[in-house]
Amino acid sequence: MKDVVVVEDDPDIQSLIATIFSMDPRFSVTGLADTAEDALEIVRTTKPEVIVLDDRLAGALTGSEVVPQLKEAAPEAKIILFTAHADMLARVVDQPDIDAFLLKTDTGELLPLAQQLTNMLSLL
Amino acid sequence: MNSTETLAQPTAGAAEAEAAKLTRALVNILSDSEEDQGRQGDDQRAILNILEDLDTERSRLESTQAALMNMLDDLEVERRKVDRTNIELQEVNEAMRSFVATAAHDLRSPLASMVGFSSLLTKNWETLSDEKRRTFITTIDRQAHKLTWLVNDLLTLSSIEGGALSTQPELVVVAEAVAGALSVSSFDTTHVSVCCPADLVVRVDPVHLARIIENYLQNAFRYGEPPVRVTARLQGGMVEIRVVDHGAGVPPEFEPQLFHKFARADLPSTRSKKGTGLGLSIVRGLAQANGGRASYQRNFPRGSCFMVLLPTDEGPYR
Repeated sequence: MKDVVVVEDDPDIQSLIATIFSMDPRFSVTGLADTAEDALEIVRTTKPEVIVLDDRLAGALTGSEVVPQLKEAAPEAKIILFTAHADMLARVVDQPDIDAFLLKTDTGELLPLAQQLTNMLSLL
Repeated sequence: MNSTETLAQPTAGAAEAEAAKLTRALVNILSDSEEDQGRQGDDQRAILNILEDLDTERSRLESTQAALMNMLDDLEVERRKVDRTNIELQEVNEAMRSFVATAAHDLRSPLASMVGFSSLLTKNWETLSDEKRRTFITTIDRQAHKLTWLVNDLLTLSSIEGGALSTQPELVVVAEAVAGALSVSSFDTTHVSVCCPADLVVRVDPVHLARIIENYLQNAFRYGEPPVRVTARLQGGMVEIRVVDHGAGVPPEFEPQLFHKFARADLPSTRSKKGTGLGLSIVRGLAQANGGRASYQRNFPRGSCFMVLLPTDEGPYR
């Protein structure tokens, strides 16, 4: 079972991501956060395999700003930056701690991407 | 005869001849000297003429130099104008880039929910419980409304900025417009206090007035804190409507951009708010289109006061 933490301040999108992961029994959403500060707390405790992270969050820190701390808290976690800002890709392309970038409109690709990052696809 | 005596005592005739000769020589010398003097005078005049010409030329050059200096000054002024225009164009470009990026982001967010949940419904209809289906459809519906609101905002703003907004002014009772805006608000407006003379009337497009008050109320609920108060009064031949809240107020450094497109102060307290960032720019555009003016001032001791001045029946906008 791969644990997933969802960091997203839009409750509808948060619920959507959690529902998408619930479609694959090999994933379990173990934490939901709407601020980077809460996310850090949850990630320190749960050490998830996947973190789905929005950039614009409710708290003082943005998603991309908290990435290094998240990676430090859970070095094995695969971080997917999941945002509606298309131009974020250019800004985060050189940030090695971000494992993948996905636009929010491409929700259909979220699960396959998480499966790929956690080496599940090779097991299928 | 002694030859020495002959030489020492010339004859008188010879002396006269010698003297005449000398005289002629002197006359010739004098004549030559006069000619020389004449030539020198000519040369001097020529030199003076040349000097005069040079002086004239110098004056002309000085004038040309002065004209060139003026042209340089003018060019410098023009260069500064071009520099300023370039900076303004860069700012407009940056604002446009930022506008497109923000609009794209804000359009994608509700779209993501709609696409995501409709896709889940399509692929998993048989296995989803009725409750889940209803939840997903409700979310799609909510996000569709949000998207509609945003698109309408963008279209309204586009009409305002393109000068294509038509206004159909008529007499509107302000108290009725305020009551109408409060009744359709998506926020709980039960505790909003209203102070407005019943006979206060403005001459504006009623749809635009409703939108102005609704946007101000949304702003107060979304970014401010209760109590929220709406007041209206006559002010300098116009009607002034104020919407006051008691939140943290607008950061002073953000005030100049307050009525700009997608203007949202990037603060921890505002990041989670889901406004389009177009509301106040629409208010400003609608107020101007109806012959009025939108403005902001800090409310003391705390909070924000958003105002709009609108023409009365006797006002200039008829």
